[in-house]
Amino acid sequence: MKVSWLPPSLRGGLRCACSGRPIASLSPLRQPFLSTSAKQFSITSRIRAGIAAPEIDFDELEDKNFVPDLQVAEKKEDTNGSKGKDRDDEVFYARVVPESRSYFGAQPIFIDTLITLRRLVRKYAALPTVKAGEAPRVAFRTLADYRNTSGETVGASKYSQIVEALRRLNHIHPSLRPKEVVDVLNSHKRDINPFDNKTKPIQIDRFGRALGVGKRKSSTARAFLVEGTGEVLVNGKTLVDAFARVHDRESAIWALKATDRLDKYNVWALCSGGGTTGQAEALTLAVGKALIAHEPMLKPALRRAGCVTRDPRRVERKKAGHVKARKMPTWVKR
Amino acid sequence: MASSGCWKCLLRPSVPVSRPIIANASASFSTTTTLNANPPKKKTGAVKIVKPHQRAGSSLKIKKKAFVKPAGRPPMPGERKALRKRIVLSNTNALEVPMTDLSKDNLLDETLVGKVAGLPDVVVDQLRAVEAFKITQGWGLFRRPAILVREDSVKLARMLEAATEKKEACRVLLDGQRGAGKSMLAVHAMASAFLKGWVVINIPEAQELTTATTDYSPVPNTTPQLYSQDTYVANLLSQIGKANNAVLSTLTLSMEHKDAPIPLQSNISLARLVELGARDPDIAWPLFNIFWREITAAGRPPVMMAMDGLSYFMQYSEYRNPDFDLIHAHDLALVKHLMDHLSGSTKLPNGGAILGVMSRSHAPKSLAADLAITQTEERQLGRPRTKADPFTKYDERSLKVLGNVPVLRLQGLSRAEARGLMEYWASSGVMRTVVDEKTVAEKWTLAGNGIVGEIERGALKMRI
Repeated sequence: MKVSWLPPSLRGGLRCACSGRPIASLSPLRQPFLSTSAKQFSITSRIRAGIAAPEIDFDELEDKNFVPDLQVAEKKEDTNGSKGKDRDDEVFYARVVPESRSYFGAQPIFIDTLITLRRLVRKYAALPTVKAGEAPRVAFRTLADYRNTSGETVGASKYSQIVEALRRLNHIHPSLRPKEVVDVLNSHKRDINPFDNKTKPIQIDRFGRALGVGKRKSSTARAFLVEGTGEVLVNGKTLVDAFARVHDRESAIWALKATDRLDKYNVWALCSGGGTTGQAEALTLAVGKALIAHEPMLKPALRRAGCVTRDPRRVERKKAGHVKARKMPTWVKR
Repeated sequence: MASSGCWKCLLRPSVPVSRPIIANASASFSTTTTLNANPPKKKTGAVKIVKPHQRAGSSLKIKKKAFVKPAGRPPMPGERKALRKRIVLSNTNALEVPMTDLSKDNLLDETLVGKVAGLPDVVVDQLRAVEAFKITQGWGLFRRPAILVREDSVKLARMLEAATEKKEACRVLLDGQRGAGKSMLAVHAMASAFLKGWVVINIPEAQELTTATTDYSPVPNTTPQLYSQDTYVANLLSQIGKANNAVLSTLTLSMEHKDAPIPLQSNISLARLVELGARDPDIAWPLFNIFWREITAAGRPPVMMAMDGLSYFMQYSEYRNPDFDLIHAHDLALVKHLMDHLSGSTKLPNGGAILGVMSRSHAPKSLAADLAITQTEERQLGRPRTKADPFTKYDERSLKVLGNVPVLRLQGLSRAEARGLMEYWASSGVMRTVVDEKTVAEKWTLAGNGIVGEIERGALKMRI
């Protein structure tokens, strides 16, 4: 009999049932519970719960004559044993009844989950729902995450059935959601809900300034944008003094230039860190964000001009064995 | 035992290394042993000597490139410099632009602000004679020399006017960031001085006087010892003569000069006097002094003195005295003459102007000049004065000179001025884009809020 998939505490008992190995060779911990022949197959209820359906309580069965011999043996044992009657002392049947019908299927956990969810959907189908799209935004666990936790090979289309049921449950009106629905939903949520992370819109202060922040390479820039005539000061200097390269000057005010707003706003900016190019391109982002605060309709135009997306590239770190990040030492014959 | 062959390649030597004992090389009866004989002489020439460990195969041989003699005649001494310094003032390919010329009457005209005014041909010749034009100013792009009238030029013209009326010197220090148009404003001021019939003396590059590129000699009987730069002064006198010939030829000597190094006729014109000085460097400095005495005598026209790159005067020069110490720039006689007038310690009795132009691109950093300018500007604006840093060593003599010279700071152009300038470029055919609000705003902002040199760089020089 193949027992390798069983819990370790169970393996010993089953092995000795199959083979005629002496019990004395087993560990002393298990000896008392294997000492009597009647208890040979009994296991704790905790372990049993993990693998099998709850045992049939024969006492409550009407036909008590069905298992007379065993009952007698058990009673004898009770009189011998020092402790009182315990569930652990009950007889274990080697042929356990599976807890779930899907036990012999390929994806028992998945099937069980799906059945549970669908049962809940059916049960609470009558509860009022919110309109489509108005349900609280929730990110459920990803397929990869689900596969990892369940240990089953579940296909994407199969998992989408679970997600579909969860979405339906999520559409039940939040104030009327039963506790079991809330629990189920919570158990399927991702640990961190990305939709909770909302960007704060930039406010225009009482002086008419919008503060945008941008980063590029290792530079940071803050740009205060006010309505004006196109004057630019970077760290208290004019654009010419701040950036020697004409290209950098153009990058710094690119957001305004690309949207034809160069003579409509004044920029007062602070840059720090990195080099001139980094600072100039950090300013592009900073001015772009501040401009969106003034004129939100410009966002698509600014995105096309490349003033919205942060360039995440940084200097690649040096690696051991390399001369630089990727450069290898020169090949030497000897 | 060491082998005679090559130990690396295990080749047998083709020529035995050790001298073999030759039994039959000589007659048996000879008493002279072959061993004592001199070795046979090596054959020179084409005989290939095979070395013992020479291997077959190729090796890297790098041939040295033979020096290629450049074809054609090499440039004569000074030719390349002349080409480098050549100033082209007109371009026949450029379109002619209708514009008003600067004249004596419209110097104070405010309606000209933001427009480009042409320089009259006479004035162009005079300005060229005093070397007022510089190669970096882009004169060669246009049909004829013209200059933008900006608010500061009218302001300066008004200051000059006021000085003439009061018969005193208008002392101004022109400052502003690189490319702000300081030298150009000096050209404008000199042009207006020429138009008004003033005598103009220009030092186009201050560094020529202090970087030890021209000869110098001690001026006798001076304490502290002064040094005159005779060749430079002779050249300067010739420039003064050429540029101001119209004025100077009408003026004659008015007093007797006993200290003249050469006998002077009493009735010669000042143009002739200047010519005499320009001819002989040895007497240039004394004649310059005589010229100065004459030009500042009563009834003479006002004088304008302009110098560019002033911070070279605000430090030690590269000349050495007999103790091999550096000579301060203010101990050079000509520089001292200029500084006395700039500081106001020597007056101009007939009125006139002294323009000191700072350079912000190719000039040494002068802490004293910077401090003096900052303090003067703060005084002009009524702001609290910046204190001198007690741990910094300032050049005291420069501080004393620049302490009370009024400063005219050039900022960027206004939008209207920038537009006027760009329209001139466009009608000259140099700038090919449409000049509208958008272009002007873009160039103006990119040029650091209207720095005119940067506008030119963005619009004319960096066309792609």
